[in-house]
Amino acid sequence: MSQKLLDVENLTMKFGGLVAIDNLSFSADKDKITSIIGPNGAGKTTVFNCLTGFYKATAGSMFLNKENERLNLRKFSDFKVAQKAGVARTFQNIRLFPQMSVLENLMVAQHNKLMDASGFTILGLFNSPSFVKKEKEAVEISKYWLDIIGLTHRADDDAGDLPYGDQRKLEIVRAMCINPHLLCLDEPAAGLNAKESAELNKLLLFIKNEKKTGILLIEHDMSVVMEISDHVVVLNYGKKIFQGSAKETKNSPEVIEAYLGTEE
Amino acid sequence: MEKKFFQTSIKDSLFTGLIALALFGPIVGLRTVAKNEVLEVHPKWFIVLIIVIVCAVGRFLTNLYVYNRDQKTGIQSSIGKSISNFLDTKGYQIALTAIIFSVIFPFLPFTDRYLMDIAIMMLTYIMLGWGLNIVIGLAGLLDLGYVAFYAVGAYSYALFAIHFGWSFWICLPIAGIFAAMFGVLLGFPVLRLRGDYLAIVTLAFGEMIRILLLNWYQLTKGPDGLTGIPRPSFFGLPFKSFPDEGEQTFHTFFGIEYNPMQRIIFLYYLILVLALITNLFTIKIRRLPIGRAWEALREDEIACKSLGVNPRNTKLTAFAIGAMFGGFAGSFFATRQAFISPESFTFIESAIIVAIVVLGGMGSQTGVVLATVFLIGLIEVFRDFESYRMIAFGGAMVLIMIFRPRGILATRKPTITLEKSSSK
Repeated sequence: MSQKLLDVENLTMKFGGLVAIDNLSFSADKDKITSIIGPNGAGKTTVFNCLTGFYKATAGSMFLNKENERLNLRKFSDFKVAQKAGVARTFQNIRLFPQMSVLENLMVAQHNKLMDASGFTILGLFNSPSFVKKEKEAVEISKYWLDIIGLTHRADDDAGDLPYGDQRKLEIVRAMCINPHLLCLDEPAAGLNAKESAELNKLLLFIKNEKKTGILLIEHDMSVVMEISDHVVVLNYGKKIFQGSAKETKNSPEVIEAYLGTEE
Repeated sequence: MEKKFFQTSIKDSLFTGLIALALFGPIVGLRTVAKNEVLEVHPKWFIVLIIVIVCAVGRFLTNLYVYNRDQKTGIQSSIGKSISNFLDTKGYQIALTAIIFSVIFPFLPFTDRYLMDIAIMMLTYIMLGWGLNIVIGLAGLLDLGYVAFYAVGAYSYALFAIHFGWSFWICLPIAGIFAAMFGVLLGFPVLRLRGDYLAIVTLAFGEMIRILLLNWYQLTKGPDGLTGIPRPSFFGLPFKSFPDEGEQTFHTFFGIEYNPMQRIIFLYYLILVLALITNLFTIKIRRLPIGRAWEALREDEIACKSLGVNPRNTKLTAFAIGAMFGGFAGSFFATRQAFISPESFTFIESAIIVAIVVLGGMGSQTGVVLATVFLIGLIEVFRDFESYRMIAFGGAMVLIMIFRPRGILATRKPTITLEKSSSK
């Protein structure tokens, strides 16, 4: 049996009497794109919040399999999921640092690495050569990602001044700057036009193929989901109602009834 | 168009008059006089009438010529623009000129004892402003109890110096460490608070420290204060007019006449150096990962968490380092005054420091200097008119808010730029 990157088993999340996620099990592969779709309020973002430590799941287990270790994500609280387990995420409503420059945004994402290099600030205060070298490397990594999304010329502008589509892309590469094993994207195509969606697809395929990073994707834009997903999980009222390839999903009667709607 | 504008202006000024009447009617108009153990009311409606007319006419004139809610009239936008252009482009030159000026200041012909005292006071506030700028300007944590750390620094310096007889240069770092510890102590309970709630708790913390100092009589002598705090010495050479037998003092060592100004000048340079250290430290740490994390935390805490930035440690370091500089400033205050009591550490001090940081432009180092010179200078100018000082203070704030709503110097420079770091 091949090892999956992410194993979610019997995940349940209750808010008081409300069951937001009900006994959900699914898995995500390394270098595959797994999409989670479903109507509004189906619990998609709640799944993300449980995975990335923003919520404490009521029951169930979530395991992340790295090369030689199996991490239980439930053991990590909020920032440690990103720091220790390498699970990065983006947000439905973009959360950049709007008054910091584009480059600074990417540098903050490399905080933990740089913090160690700066000897908890003390070495950094005296410009120790090892810190200067590490900082240069971090700038190079940022530059590499900016080149990929074509924003190098705007590196020193405030992130909040970028057009909407560029902010989306910046948020994704910022998450990539923590060098994650799993990247969770919450509606990255929301508000993008057709051309920007196509660019987004290209970026995600690049991350999947070149960086071998597993991607978990919440999306309503079917052109994005169907084109790039390797695997689709459909949620409705916190329950998994279907899973399969993009093509199978498109033709599944349950999914059409619950979410996609009949052909026009 | 012109006529309609005139009409709205009149309406607006009448409304202003009404507000003035509601405010000043009870405050000024009804004056109570104690007569034969009975309180009598002496109405003073004529004065109220004059105040109301002045307010209404003044509002009318400002509406016409200076500032209007609906449309910006010439003066406001043009003055605002030219000031901001000048300050934004010349920030570096202003800073350099200010440093050179402050270094030669004690030897300028017009400098006297009075001006030196004001300069020392301003530099103390500048240092406090720079220290608080780390907490408010960079980390975005609205701390209204900063004076508590100033007090902790002053008292720990005074107690160590009095009871153990340690010199200034040993007590200074100890006072800083004590203040930093109190910073962490305050930091822990307020980790989850933001904005208004944080402000309230920090305000309470400031008062708690003051009340503690007031009531812990065995240690702090309460309201009597601590006296006889040792004066700083020039690397072991004290400033004394009549040295003890065989004692080297500053003037005997250098073979010059004794002059009380020598000590003042030394204190001036001491606080100048301390303030500049604070400034350099802040400028440097802003460019380090921790400084960037502070600013990122100010911008979006949730995004920080998603990137693996530890919000707890980041906030606590901001509180601790900000508090440490407050503590340094406090020990300087103690050694300069040679006497401290809880009265020096009231809420109004915190408010002034916060005003300096906010009006200077959050996070701007030069802005803090400009705001301090402006606000403290104004308070000094109005020293002879004691009761009008706070009015002038408030008026100055209103002016800054109208002309520079985001602070005197509001532009932020990135901590790292691609051009600079990739040009090899």
